[in-house]
Amino acid sequence: MNRSLVILLGVLALGAAIFAGSYFVSQRACAITRSADDLSWLHDEFHLNGAEMARVRQLHEGYMPQCAKMCVLIAAKNAEVQAALGSGTNVTAEAQQKLTELGGLRAQCQAQMLRHFIEVSQAMPPEEGRRYLAEMKKLTLGSHEEIEQSMSDHNGHEHGTN
Amino acid sequence: MKENMNPDPGSNRCSGEASDDKLREVLRAVRPLPSLPPRFQENVWRRIEDSEAPVKSGSRLDALIALVLRPRFAYATIATLMLAGVLLGTYRGAQTARQTEQARYLAAVAPDSLR
Repeated sequence: MNRSLVILLGVLALGAAIFAGSYFVSQRACAITRSADDLSWLHDEFHLNGAEMARVRQLHEGYMPQCAKMCVLIAAKNAEVQAALGSGTNVTAEAQQKLTELGGLRAQCQAQMLRHFIEVSQAMPPEEGRRYLAEMKKLTLGSHEEIEQSMSDHNGHEHGTN
Repeated sequence: MKENMNPDPGSNRCSGEASDDKLREVLRAVRPLPSLPPRFQENVWRRIEDSEAPVKSGSRLDALIALVLRPRFAYATIATLMLAGVLLGTYRGAQTARQTEQARYLAAVAPDSLR
């Protein structure tokens, strides 16, 4: 092969290696230097100052035990549903009852979660608070809406209409 | 001493020129001029034509290599590549870190079963 071509290919490979090396090192460095705090996203995304972060942290720490309690209740009710369904091929009255109770618990948990989001949004500057609430609704409830929307689109009918 | 004080410099010059000619003849005899290689003139013209001909791709590549390997150009290129890599890496790293932090917050406040 031509010597000049070999040199050119070597130079290109070296350039690519230098670019890739600096890219990956800086990417890793950026990820490592980030805080491991659960609330660091709120701080960075919604530009909260120290006082606002302190208030949000207080609300977060107050909410976490309630959330954990609801999770335990939901997990227990889920286990009851699984037991009621057993290995049968039909939904018994008991299984139906347990499913209703599970749904009730989930709704209760979602309502509690939304109340928490509203409280947190009120601890932020008004504009950031609105953005936070919209984002949290989208992230937590939006997926259900998307699933329901896709189901009604695929089935060719919409709920609430004939 | 007597020779150096010659009152007639003209006769001295004539005898000097004659001796130069003799010396040249002797030198030529001792070291003869080499004969020109065959087709010398033709080769000279070919070289002149080659040097005036448009640059071929091979020599363009050589010129590019020479440019790339020039220290100032090489250092500038390395610095540019590193800067571009660092900037892009930092940007992508910040994006990834942001997504990770968002996922961590969501996992804390909204269990998977509710999403």
